Amino acid sequence: MLALRGLGRVLLQHQRMSGCSVGVASLQPLPPRPQTRFQSGGPDPLSSGAKVKLRTRLLVSLLFGGGLLGAWAYVHWEKQQRLRRQRTDQLRKVALGQGTFSLVDHTGRRRTKQDFLGSWVLLYFGFTHCPDICPDELDKLSAAVALLDRDASLPPVQPLFITVDPERDGVPALARYVKDFHPRLIGLTGTTEEVKHAGRDYRVYASPGPKDQDGDYIVDHSILIYLLSPDGLFLDYYNRMKNSQQIADSVSAHMRSYQRL
Amino acid sequence: MTAPNSAERRVCWDSRDLLWKCLDDNNDRAESCQKLQNDFEAKCPAQWVKYFTKRRDFLKYKERIQTEGFSPAEGPRENS
Repeated sequence: MLALRGLGRVLLQHQRMSGCSVGVASLQPLPPRPQTRFQSGGPDPLSSGAKVKLRTRLLVSLLFGGGLLGAWAYVHWEKQQRLRRQRTDQLRKVALGQGTFSLVDHTGRRRTKQDFLGSWVLLYFGFTHCPDICPDELDKLSAAVALLDRDASLPPVQPLFITVDPERDGVPALARYVKDFHPRLIGLTGTTEEVKHAGRDYRVYASPGPKDQDGDYIVDHSILIYLLSPDGLFLDYYNRMKNSQQIADSVSAHMRSYQRL
Repeated sequence: MTAPNSAERRVCWDSRDLLWKCLDDNNDRAESCQKLQNDFEAKCPAQWVKYFTKRRDFLKYKERIQTEGFSPAEGPRENS
């Protein structure tokens, strides 16, 4: 270990002389000659003079190594930030959710998009007669919100559920449905036109299937959880493959970078 | 008709899981699992039964593709 650090230092001295900058890749095994130059220290390696020199060399090596690690960590972090910003910019260009919606919540109160400005929103489109996907996604959404609730430094997230099946999902059906999930979950419904308008805003695909003899049917629809910023902009989305921890991590990352702006 | 609540959903999913496990153990021979099939159809809405049956077919198909590979169908043959 010592020899390697020493190698690095000797290499640095070499590079300085030739005027190059040191890269991490340059710390590779060298031909034996510089090694013997290092190991043949002073005439008496046990003298206190040589010991002091060794300590200084160690210290410098450690500082140099630490500096390199720090530089790498910073570059890596900066790259992550850049990637995240690129993604947000791309999604901003897609500009989903630009319009306003006017719907009725599961308590019968009218809500518009304005009412949710100022909060972070996690939005899911589904329907109450959904066999398995909507309950799964809403459970995941509830778990993500619960994880975020645990962090007191973050603002609270508002979970929203908008139905794609206004024909069957009126206020009482929604009220029955949302109580199985996060206590803050608000269900939204309205007339067919109002719901279609909200869905179009987020480019949600929804297609009711054929009705059977009981009048029951399944609505085929796109499965996504949307993240909206406090100024109502669509910032990110999460598909079925993201679990609740990943969603919570992504939301908190967005929150932190957003606040800094 | 009202949508199943959380408890009813769970009952349906459990009966589906039992049925699917039986089918897995019996190489998809429906006759061996007739009782579980009836139970499943009783506990789940008809639309869900249809949906889950289709889903199982799809999952089996996907498994087959992933293990045996996919051979694309031959295109129309040209007359030489």
